[in-house]
Amino acid sequence: MMTYQDTTTPAGGDGPILRCEGITKAFGGVNAVNGATFDVPRNKITALIGPNGAGKTTVVNLLSGAMKIDSGKVQLGTTDITNMERYKIARLGLMRTFQLSRELGGLTVLENLLVAPKVQAGESLFNIFFRPRLLKREERQNLERAVEILRTYGLFDLRDNLARELSGGQKKLLEISRGVMASPSLFLLDEPMAGVNPALIDKIGGYILDMKAQGVTVLMIEHNLNVVERICDNVVVLAEGRTLATGTMSELRENKEVVTAYLGEIINAGPSH
Amino acid sequence: MAQFWFYVFTLVFFLFDYFILAMGLNIQYGETGILNFAYIGFVAIGAYVTGAVSLPNSVGTAQQYIFGFNLPFPFSLLAGGVAAMLLAVVVAAITLRRLRTDYLAMVLISLSLVLYDVINNYVRLFNGADGLYNVPQPMAGVLHLTSNAFVVFFACVTGVISLIMWAGMSRITRSPLGRTFRAIRDDPDVASALGKGVFRYQLTSMLIGSFYAGIGGGLIIQFGGSFNPTAWLPGETFVVFAVIIVGGVGNNVGLLMGALLVETLLIHLPAFLPDIPGHAGLIEYIDAMVIGIMLMVMLWFRPQGIIPERVRHFALPAGELLNRDGHSVEAPPETMNNAASTLSASETHEGDRA
Repeated sequence: MMTYQDTTTPAGGDGPILRCEGITKAFGGVNAVNGATFDVPRNKITALIGPNGAGKTTVVNLLSGAMKIDSGKVQLGTTDITNMERYKIARLGLMRTFQLSRELGGLTVLENLLVAPKVQAGESLFNIFFRPRLLKREERQNLERAVEILRTYGLFDLRDNLARELSGGQKKLLEISRGVMASPSLFLLDEPMAGVNPALIDKIGGYILDMKAQGVTVLMIEHNLNVVERICDNVVVLAEGRTLATGTMSELRENKEVVTAYLGEIINAGPSH
Repeated sequence: MAQFWFYVFTLVFFLFDYFILAMGLNIQYGETGILNFAYIGFVAIGAYVTGAVSLPNSVGTAQQYIFGFNLPFPFSLLAGGVAAMLLAVVVAAITLRRLRTDYLAMVLISLSLVLYDVINNYVRLFNGADGLYNVPQPMAGVLHLTSNAFVVFFACVTGVISLIMWAGMSRITRSPLGRTFRAIRDDPDVASALGKGVFRYQLTSMLIGSFYAGIGGGLIIQFGGSFNPTAWLPGETFVVFAVIIVGGVGNNVGLLMGALLVETLLIHLPAFLPDIPGHAGLIEYIDAMVIGIMLMVMLWFRPQGIIPERVRHFALPAGELLNRDGHSVEAPPETMNNAASTLSASETHEGDRA
């Protein structure tokens, strides 16, 4: 059985795994995020939806520390992570993927996974020269886990290929599997289904459900409402940088404000996928 | 005949010395992606400090310099390496947190020019434009070596030092630390999102590379007995870049090849050739043009270098050769042969895959 959750991270507790309170971000006078407030419930899959330009990716960038928050507060478990350095947030168990896949192109597929564990004894010069057994043991454990994940995600046969040689869909899978290798408590997925074929959409949906079953909380930006309906427990709707509504997909369909701001245009445009 | 061997071993010295310098720049640029255009400054600090700690107190001599500890080899050399690392801490603190790629390169080349002017003009530091001279030749007195014999001896010492440093560098680049360096080179944002403190790793890489630069510089002054600002014009950095680009960025064997072609055969060998009649010094200019053309040709037709970076393959533990149903999974022959071992890595060249 593949294990996901890193129980050593301080994102433990009973309340929401992430609390986002009134965060704002402006770019040259334009408020990209304007007071977004929502909770991400623990061990659930939450979708972040909204029209283009609603500020979804900016929110993910703010939560993961890739951008500085102008005002507001973000709490991961019991830890205030507002404007904490990005790598420190990652070490607390918050992993993310990117809207356009960002593979480590000069590394092989296997190395992309092996680099993911957050703190490795083999990254210390002292250990490299004076504790070779520890390195070997750690590397073996990481290798076994990486191989297991690659098999699960169907990338095992590509393990020795350079990551830049992969197709778009394979890069999406690599990015997700790399995040899994890092044992996240909370995994932010930025449009994991974008630009992939319907069969792969089903597969990725299955992988996300599998993560949830293993105790990982997921917050995903997604435009494909069929997918949202099928796998997400909770939905947060953003519009103009604000939280418009939260609830289940069926609840949101009854919400006139949400239908006017976002769902209406989707429904009028016909079913996606 | 003795003169011939003097020339040969002088070339051998520069081959190994530039191999060390190339390894230092390679871990910074080739492995971690730090475009260190100030590299020659670190080499110079290594050379000056090694020289200044080897020399006796400057009071009563014609030279002005700090230190003057009369420190014996190899402690003098280590002092040069450590001094270059200290400079790296300062430079990294100024540049690495805020700057990336081309901006970082511009600031570094500016710092290199500032350092050059300070050392050239502040005579009390390292004797200004005259530089340091009469630096003792290591072991020459103890072993009663003639100047020719010293060249042979020190070229061999440098060869041994370069092999030790090669072994150390290989250990680092093959370790998880080396992998993290390459992750940062490929995409520092992704590395950071994976929990890697990019600044800390870049600083580590700068320190390692600077130590190699300092040792390389220290060996130059111990070999020649003198060092002055004409030896480290800021453009010299690009000779070391040429070594690693021609040889193969990210490949230690390629670096040795680059040091042989660029530094030994193109820069130092022609220095021993007789002048073209009526055109004194012309060979030097032709030399510079050949290096420039070679660099352009390499970047155009074979940017990965003569011996490209290696793609790491991992032999899997025996249990991993079975899939979940217990069936055997295809594995490359070398993997099967090593299946009993817990872990081993083999490598192929990236260029071979194209």
